[in-house]
Amino acid sequence: MPRTILISYIERDSLIHKLNPLTKLTALICVIILAFILGPVNNLILFALILPLSYISKLTWDVFKPIRYLLIIFAILFSIQGLFYPFRLTPLYTIPFTNIIIWKEGIIYAAEISARLLVMMVYGFLFVLTTHPGDLVNALRKLKMPYKVGYIVLSTLHVIPSIQMQVETIIDAQKSRGLDVSGNIIKRLRAYVPLLGPLFIGSVQQAVERTMALEARAFSADCEKTSFRQTVFRKRDRNIIIATVIISVTVGVLSWIY
Amino acid sequence: MDILKFKNFSWTYEGFNTPIIKKINLTIKKGEFVGMIGRVGAGRSSLCSSILGLIPHFYPGKFEGNIIVDGVDVETSSLSKLSTIVGLVFQSPTNQLSGAGTTVEEELAFGLENLGIQRHEIIKRVEEMVKLIGLEKFSSRNPFELSGGQQQKVAIASVLIMEPKILVMDEPTAQLDPLGTKLVFDLIKKLASKGITILLNTQNVDQLAEFADRIIIMDKGEIAADGDARSILTDITLLKKYGIEPSQLTTLSYKMKEKKLWNKPLCLTMKDAEEMVCEVMKR
Ligand SMILES: Nc1ncnc2c1ncn2[C@@H]1O[C@H](COP(=O)(O)OP(=O)(O)OP(=O)(O)O)[C@@H](O)[C@H]1O
Ligand SMILES: [Mg+2]
Repeated sequence: MPRTILISYIERDSLIHKLNPLTKLTALICVIILAFILGPVNNLILFALILPLSYISKLTWDVFKPIRYLLIIFAILFSIQGLFYPFRLTPLYTIPFTNIIIWKEGIIYAAEISARLLVMMVYGFLFVLTTHPGDLVNALRKLKMPYKVGYIVLSTLHVIPSIQMQVETIIDAQKSRGLDVSGNIIKRLRAYVPLLGPLFIGSVQQAVERTMALEARAFSADCEKTSFRQTVFRKRDRNIIIATVIISVTVGVLSWIY
Repeated sequence: MDILKFKNFSWTYEGFNTPIIKKINLTIKKGEFVGMIGRVGAGRSSLCSSILGLIPHFYPGKFEGNIIVDGVDVETSSLSKLSTIVGLVFQSPTNQLSGAGTTVEEELAFGLENLGIQRHEIIKRVEEMVKLIGLEKFSSRNPFELSGGQQQKVAIASVLIMEPKILVMDEPTAQLDPLGTKLVFDLIKKLASKGITILLNTQNVDQLAEFADRIIIMDKGEIAADGDARSILTDITLLKKYGIEPSQLTTLSYKMKEKKLWNKPLCLTMKDAEEMVCEVMKR
C-alpha cells in the first residue's frame, strides 16, 4: 500500500520560517481573497511571486511539487468547461470530422478557476511547509482558541501516520490469511470490508489508552498552560502584516476599478 | 515514610457483581522497589490504575476502602492533582505518545506544559530527562519514528519529568522485543539506583530477581504473598502455586539441588549463580 502524501512542515533556517504564524496566516488570507478578485493574467503574476518567496524560505522546488496533483483537475476543468460552458457564444475550434466545438468562454472560465487554484495551492503550501503546526496552534491559542481544540488538531496530524501503519499491519495480517485485495474496484472495495472491524476496535482501544496516558500527564489540569516552543510576535511581524494588508487592499481596489 | 497506602481497598467494575480487587492492605515506603507478579487476570493492572485514580475517576464502578498516596486521598482528589504525585506507565509504547509533539523534546515537555510550569524550567528538565534516558541523539526526532523500546523510554521519562513521588509501571515491556526489553530494564535499573520509589508490574521474573527489594504476588484480586525479593523469588513451591515461572537462575540451582550437586539456598542473582558455579567447580 502506498504511503499517503502527508504535507508537512520542513525545518529550515529562513526569514519566512521565523515569522509568527499569525503573520503568515494573515498574508495567506490576503492572497486567497486577492486570488478571487484578480483575473487569470494577474493571478499568474501573483503566482510568479512565489518564486522569490520560496527562494527566501530555502525550500526551492518543494512548494511546486503538489502542482502535479492539480494537473488532472485542470484537464477535467478545461475539457468540461470548454465543451459545456452554459454561456457559450464564440466557437474557438471545431475538432475536424466531428461537430464537437470548443468554446472560447468556457476556456476563459476554466483558465480563471485554474489560475485561482494554482495561486491558492502554492501559497497554502508555502504556509504549511514553513509553519510548525505546534507554533500555529500556540499562536491560535493566544487568540483564545480552546486548549483542547488545539490538541485535537495537533494530535490528528501526528497520529495519522500511526493509523496508517496500523492499516498496513492489518492488511498484511489479512493477506497472510488469504485476503485478496486485487481485481476491479468493486472487488477491491469489498475486500477491504473485513479490515474495518479490526481497525475500528483497534482505534477505540487506542483512543482509550491514549486518553489514560494523557490523564497521567495532567491533560485536564485546570490552570494557565505554558509552552515549550516559543512563538514571538516581533516588530517586523507587525510591519509585514500592515504592509501586506495595505498592498492587498490597493491591488484589489485597483483591479476592481479597471 | 509511607508513600502509598491501601486500606481495605476493594473495587468492582460497573456491571459486575463480584469485586476484582478484594480488601487489599498494602504499604509502600519511600525508596522501595516493589515488583508485582501474578497470573493473567489477577487484577494487577486494575491495582496500578487505581493508584493514579483512573479507578474510580476514569472507570466507573464501586470503590471501597481507601488509597492514600503521599498523604492525598485518591477517591476524593482530581486526576490532574494525582498525576503530579503518581507517574503511571502503560504497556503500549505508541499509544502513550500524546501526539502533541513533533519531537522527543516536545513530547517530554507535554506534561509540564499542562501544569503551567515556566518555560525555562521546562527546558531545564527536558534536557535532564533526555540525558537520563540516553536519547540525546534522538531529541529532535519524531517520537512516532522511534523503536518500541525507545518510545517506552520516552513514555517513562514523560511522566518522570513531572517529578512524581512514586513511579508505577504496568508491564512496560510486554509489547517489546528482547532488545527493547533490555533498553527499558537498563533504564529501570538506573532509576532504582537513584532511589526512586517504584512499583513494577511485570512477568519478567529474571529481571525482578536482579533488582527488586520486595515482591508482591497477586492472585484472584488479593495479595497472596508479600515479602523480601529473595525469600519470595526462591520459594519455588509458592511461585508454582500461583502459576509463576521462577527465574532461570533459580530454576538452575533448584535442578542442581535435585541432583544433590548443591545444598545451600537457591540462587537469585547472577552473583549467587557465579558463587555456586565456582564452588561446584572447585569440588
Ligand atoms: N475495564 C474493565 N471493565 C470490566 N472488567 C475489567 C476491566 N478491566 C479488567 N477487567 C477484569 O478485571 C479482572 C482483572 O483484570 P486486570 O487487567 O486488572 O488483571 P491483570 O492482573 O492485569 O491481568 P493481565 O495479565 O491480563 O494484564 C479481569 O477479570 C478482567 O477481565
Ligand atoms: Mg495487566
